[in-house]
Amino acid sequence: MKILVIEDEKELARDIVNYLSGENYLCETAADFPSAREKVSLYQYDCILLDLMLPGGDGFDILEYLRSQNKQDGVIIISAKNSLEDKIKGLNIGADDYLAKPFHHSELAARIHSVIRRKQFDPSNLIVQNEVKIDLLSKTVQIGGNGIPLTKKEYDLLLFFIGNKNRVLSKSALAEHLSGDLADMFDSHDFVYAHVKNLKKKLSEGGYGNYLKTKYGTGYKWEI
Amino acid sequence: MIKLLDKPFKAFTIYALIILLVSIPIYFLVVDWIWVTEIDDNHEIIMERIENRFEQAHLSGHDLETILHTWNTLQPSSSITPITEASGSRDSIYEVTKYNEYESEWDRFRGLQTVIRIDNKPYLLNIETNVEEAYETIFAIGLVTVLLYGLLVFGFIQLNRKISKSVWEPFDSTLTRLKSFDLSAGKELTFEPTDIEEFESLNHTISKLISENIGVYNQQKAFVANASHELQTPIALLKSKLEILFQDEKLSSDQSELVNAIQIPLARLTRVNKNLLLLARIDNSNFSDISEIDFAEKVEKSEELLQDYIGEKKLNFQKSRKGKCVFKSSKFLAETLVNNLLSNAVRHTSANGEIGIEWDDNGFSFRNSGKERLNRDFLFKRFSISTTETTNSGLGLAIVKEICKQNGWEITYDFSDYFHIFSVRFSKF
Repeated sequence: MKILVIEDEKELARDIVNYLSGENYLCETAADFPSAREKVSLYQYDCILLDLMLPGGDGFDILEYLRSQNKQDGVIIISAKNSLEDKIKGLNIGADDYLAKPFHHSELAARIHSVIRRKQFDPSNLIVQNEVKIDLLSKTVQIGGNGIPLTKKEYDLLLFFIGNKNRVLSKSALAEHLSGDLADMFDSHDFVYAHVKNLKKKLSEGGYGNYLKTKYGTGYKWEI
Repeated sequence: MIKLLDKPFKAFTIYALIILLVSIPIYFLVVDWIWVTEIDDNHEIIMERIENRFEQAHLSGHDLETILHTWNTLQPSSSITPITEASGSRDSIYEVTKYNEYESEWDRFRGLQTVIRIDNKPYLLNIETNVEEAYETIFAIGLVTVLLYGLLVFGFIQLNRKISKSVWEPFDSTLTRLKSFDLSAGKELTFEPTDIEEFESLNHTISKLISENIGVYNQQKAFVANASHELQTPIALLKSKLEILFQDEKLSSDQSELVNAIQIPLARLTRVNKNLLLLARIDNSNFSDISEIDFAEKVEKSEELLQDYIGEKKLNFQKSRKGKCVFKSSKFLAETLVNNLLSNAVRHTSANGEIGIEWDDNGFSFRNSGKERLNRDFLFKRFSISTTETTNSGLGLAIVKEICKQNGWEITYDFSDYFHIFSVRFSKF
């Protein structure tokens, strides 16, 4: 799957590519408006990460160009301007998601995963991960035909883990995924531990392998 | 505190009192002196007249004796008595106090005693005139003085009022405008022109001072906004690099703990910077996403997000709806306000404590259990951190205050019955 990272901060673009590379993604980068515009018009991507403030132009113009050309590439705006107006404008023009900087790479990966999933034509809306089957429409999880009753948060966490396979996820990244911006108002995110524990318990009771590992006591990893 | 105009008024009044008190004996002495001199002159004239008339009358010795007898009997204020040449009586002016049988009181008399000659025989002429009593004069003067003093003070008060109304009016207007001045509103003050030089110069100086202050304030605001904006990228990079490092398979347990330890202050830095940017944005921009906000809905949303933190501390969370709280505001600001107030309450309540939200038609309030009253003066100021907790960015309540200001609401803090209470009231119009 091809991803284009349009980001003028080269180091940040490199880190994003670095983080995503393990996930079967092929990443390209564009650091300014002209090169981004060129790549967008020449190739098709599954997902484009779009910074709004670019040398040489406005990120919105690229988005507008994409939609005017009827290109269906998924677009996630990554902007330092955490402004609701920008978010609404972006989503109106046709962005699929909006993520304010600074963000956790894991959050970005989960959002990319979700955008690509939505873009793919899949009438069943099913994610199959080893023994587990996730129905995205009804938000139910099955293992070997048996339903696993998950709470909303456990379900969110499961999707988050699957979107970040083989990555160590810190507690704060998980907390931020669950509580959004509000998570950074708190230092202790111990409740994450309880949710993960419950999720693990329910999955293993359903007969799922032990893929969810605790790492260094500070993070979690979904190891395949 | 004493009013500026009352100060000279008091001094003037005291000074007038002293002068008028001193004037009483002076008036008395002057009046008395004029009185006595006049009487003495009069006595002199009477004496000369009597002498001349007798001289011209050419009376015989017997007639003279009869006339003198009648004179002395009928004329109460003068007497002419024959004396011998050798008696050696001298002219004198004297004062005497005699009992007045008709008015049954003691009266003061001024007298002239002199020797006149009728037919070359010496006679002693004695003229006496009743002079006003000293105490009577003093009493009359005193009475007039007191009346005048009263008039003077009354006049002072009236004049004072009139002056304070007209002359100090520009000053009062300046003061009223200064009182309502708000630096953060960024609006320059204009003063009414006045024809009084001092006030005009005062207004001019204040205007200059204010515009300089606004300039500095704006500069500072821009500086904070720029600084926090510039910090964003390095912070994002730091966060990104740490996360990449965290993925390293070769990371030892100690090293990963170190990475975690770095993440905590970094999270705080992120938070502070984010809040500073938010404050700058609230200060600078008009929010266009105005819509009808249902407070209950926002509370529910915020509660859902914070549920885990509330559960973690085993807080007793209660909502009480006393009316329909719907208002027009920016959605973003309303959400930020509710989130900040609720997360603030959650953060600062100790385990097993209590949190409550109450709302009615005209506002809402957040309360959480606590041990002691917080300092109201610093509460809403930036970076006035009241606890040693590191999660506190010191900006949460400053943001709340700014949002309330933006919406024209009033926020107050109270502590009662071991509860911190933050109340937001919508203005009454």
